Amino acid sequence: MSGTRVFGLLALPIGLPALFILAGCLADDYWRYVLCLTVSAVVVGAGLTMLVSFARCITLATGAFQALGAYGAVLLMINLSLPFPLAVVAGGCAGALGGLFLAVPAVRFRSHNLAMVTLVFQSIVIIALRELKGLTGGAEGLSVPAATILGVAIRSDLANLVMACVFSALILIPLMILLQGPFGRNLRALAVNEVGARAFGIRIEHYLIAAFVISSAAIAMAAAIVAPRLRIIDPDSFGLYSSILTLAYPIVGGLGSVWGGAVGGAVLRILPEVLRPIAGYIELILSTVVLLTMLCFRGGLSEMVSRLWPARSEPARSSRGSDAVVVSALPHLVQPHDHSAVEALVTDKLVKRYDALTAVDGVNLKVRAGALHGIMGPNGAGKTTLFNTVSGFIRPDAGQIRLFGTDVTSDRIEQRIGLGVTRTFQNLAIFPSLSCRQNVIIGFGRNSIGAALGRSAGWALNTKTSREEAERADWALDAVGLAHVMDLPAGKLSLGDQRRLEIARAVVSQPRLILLDEPVSGVSQQEVEQLLVLLKAINRDLGATMLVVEHNIGFLVSLCDTLSVMASGRIIAEGVPAEVVARRDVLRTYFGETDEAA
Amino acid sequence: MAELLMTIVGGIKIGAIYALAAIGLVVIHKATKTVNFAHGGLVMLGAFATYEMVVVFEWPYWMAYIAVPVLIGALGALLEFVVLKPLRRADLFTVIIGTIFLGTALSEAYRLAENSELLAVPALFTGPPLLIDVGSDVVIFTREQIWVTLGALAVGTAGVAIFRYSSLGRSMRAMASNSRGAQLCGYSVEGVYGIAWFLGSALAGLAGVFAAPSKGVSPDLAVSIVASAFVAAVIGGFDSLGGAIVGGLLLGCVETLSAAYVSSSLSMAISYFLLFCVLLVRPEGLFPEAKRRHV
Repeated sequence: MSGTRVFGLLALPIGLPALFILAGCLADDYWRYVLCLTVSAVVVGAGLTMLVSFARCITLATGAFQALGAYGAVLLMINLSLPFPLAVVAGGCAGALGGLFLAVPAVRFRSHNLAMVTLVFQSIVIIALRELKGLTGGAEGLSVPAATILGVAIRSDLANLVMACVFSALILIPLMILLQGPFGRNLRALAVNEVGARAFGIRIEHYLIAAFVISSAAIAMAAAIVAPRLRIIDPDSFGLYSSILTLAYPIVGGLGSVWGGAVGGAVLRILPEVLRPIAGYIELILSTVVLLTMLCFRGGLSEMVSRLWPARSEPARSSRGSDAVVVSALPHLVQPHDHSAVEALVTDKLVKRYDALTAVDGVNLKVRAGALHGIMGPNGAGKTTLFNTVSGFIRPDAGQIRLFGTDVTSDRIEQRIGLGVTRTFQNLAIFPSLSCRQNVIIGFGRNSIGAALGRSAGWALNTKTSREEAERADWALDAVGLAHVMDLPAGKLSLGDQRRLEIARAVVSQPRLILLDEPVSGVSQQEVEQLLVLLKAINRDLGATMLVVEHNIGFLVSLCDTLSVMASGRIIAEGVPAEVVARRDVLRTYFGETDEAA
Repeated sequence: MAELLMTIVGGIKIGAIYALAAIGLVVIHKATKTVNFAHGGLVMLGAFATYEMVVVFEWPYWMAYIAVPVLIGALGALLEFVVLKPLRRADLFTVIIGTIFLGTALSEAYRLAENSELLAVPALFTGPPLLIDVGSDVVIFTREQIWVTLGALAVGTAGVAIFRYSSLGRSMRAMASNSRGAQLCGYSVEGVYGIAWFLGSALAGLAGVFAAPSKGVSPDLAVSIVASAFVAAVIGGFDSLGGAIVGGLLLGCVETLSAAYVSSSLSMAISYFLLFCVLLVRPEGLFPEAKRRHV
């Protein structure tokens, strides 16, 4: 495990530049120049992997960030005679600032509007470079002095190649850590399921801004390290066309892969050199290659390569419930919560209106700590709205919510996570492209942007905390009977198993209150019984309080200690389940007047 | 005063072309939920086809107005069938990337064929300009300006009317708001998507015919038109056809005025700034089509 992690982290950042240097030693000056540009394209591709493949933001501003990096570094070299390494870092800062400036307003948009805003940024940067003639030399460009490191001028092509490779390795290592560690995982999670990501404290805007800033910094530095070899930089070499071409890197390389952008960058930068006899057609060939990749090999080059590898023995697929373990007691890795007299959840005259409809109309609900409390009611009764106000997805119009004695009415989801509250979803909100283990680790909820960056470093160094998280995730998966599918993508599980996975993700952080939204809707009768046993075991062994919204009355009656019935936004009955469901007014809500007629 | 008026008239003419391109973009988006970044490529090909017909084959000009929209419309429907149909189940992200590279392929293919020269197309009307006295000054309109403005706006309005009132338009609107439901009611996805792309691309082709004399034909036309059409559509609210017309005219005036009174190199930056402001302040556009629903 540890060995493969280190290999995965270092193979590209160390291996590829080393290979390029080796090839450069054997090749002529022209190919050294090409390899120099290629290693820069690899870094650009890796930066785009973060933004395009992981965060799924379409950017047409790559050229602008390259320009910011190259011009930033070169201007500082010329005007302040900054040593080259510092100039590269400064170029990266220029890119990061540009990324921040673009992302703060832009991340509220998605898809075509985001693409268009990045196109605007691209055009404005290039216009600025052309117009600020005094500083940038306008359309003629700037001639770049030779790089100096520790007083030594780097002039030959081989020296330039070695320098570019060393800098690329230094940029790629942290980039790979971020991509493969918790930060990249959370980014992928939010791109496939924003709702699920929010429920575990992933702030979408923060992550997208961070992705923009980090990838722009990498792209800017990639351009800065080859600027001396280019000798002249001008606005045209960073135009919209270059943005579109670089957008092809992660797509051709493979959107699903950590290495996709880097591989795509290497291949697409070398390809034109190989095809020099038909150089005129190269742009048309490239756009055709991208379209063909999207139509025929959605996984791109990296998936084609991984298919060539001998297939690893896949763990047995879960079959529908038959081999799933029914859990009667959880392994005691954790101490159950002990409950003082405090109430887990109190809502006081809670109101939520949608235009003319009052979905939740003055609900007073009390859930004792340690209880299994159910809420039933016909469609449109306001159950889900109530549930969303309690879990922090919707802010109520009036009333108060207290969790374990703390008023959280106007707090964000993250504060609720801090109090030990987690939830599951009626329409599953798992992250299908991530493995089951990764899904569960997100359930720890330590997903603020700072925490994720810190955890990425911890993950790379394999710290004790990081190892413990993996162990706890394995425990949670084992507890719900999914130990045999830990490394499978969550999207490959059956519906019932996906429900178990959501439960594992909800319990891994040892929550004090779990909110379950229709946990058995759409699963088979056999699986309903297994989930019943599992939920009771979690309640008993972890001491977790549960609030369950469900339509399946039989399931609720067997599971819950107390039951509330909602209709038209109000609670109309409350008490011991068997008694509540026998009440005449409850029957009337569900079945109409038929029992009186009989 | 006269100078300002003439600038505005010029702006309205360019704006009418933008409006026509924007309507095509909006029609395709309304019916198929696809943002067609290849739209500029279609406009460029429309202008190029006009050049071929009028200059190379020396056909009468009116034939270009009839043949080009049909040709570009058919090409659009074909591209939809070959490239976008297989992506129909994919997400928006994939489709947008698809149309971006489709657009690049179109302009690169053209660049290869024509070596990126700027091809000049003569104007339809070459008669003497009309002079109108405004107080002490004289305002000069060219016949071309009047023809392009009125012609493009008339075609655009006709396109809007088709979408809004005909049964063809109803089928597209039904497909857009609920494709499952529309299929249950007997509309075929293939048919509706094909018609929407035909109609949208035909409008793009016509925009190309109108634009050819004033803008010339070059690969750069593709990017400049798709950007302008997009800005016009966003200003109008992206799903509003009437909004696209107003947005196009507004954009044309802003561009021409800033080129005349500020700097021609900054006119693009200023129109982008306009887009940015609209997106930031009123993301639903100046003429939102419908109130946003609660999720």
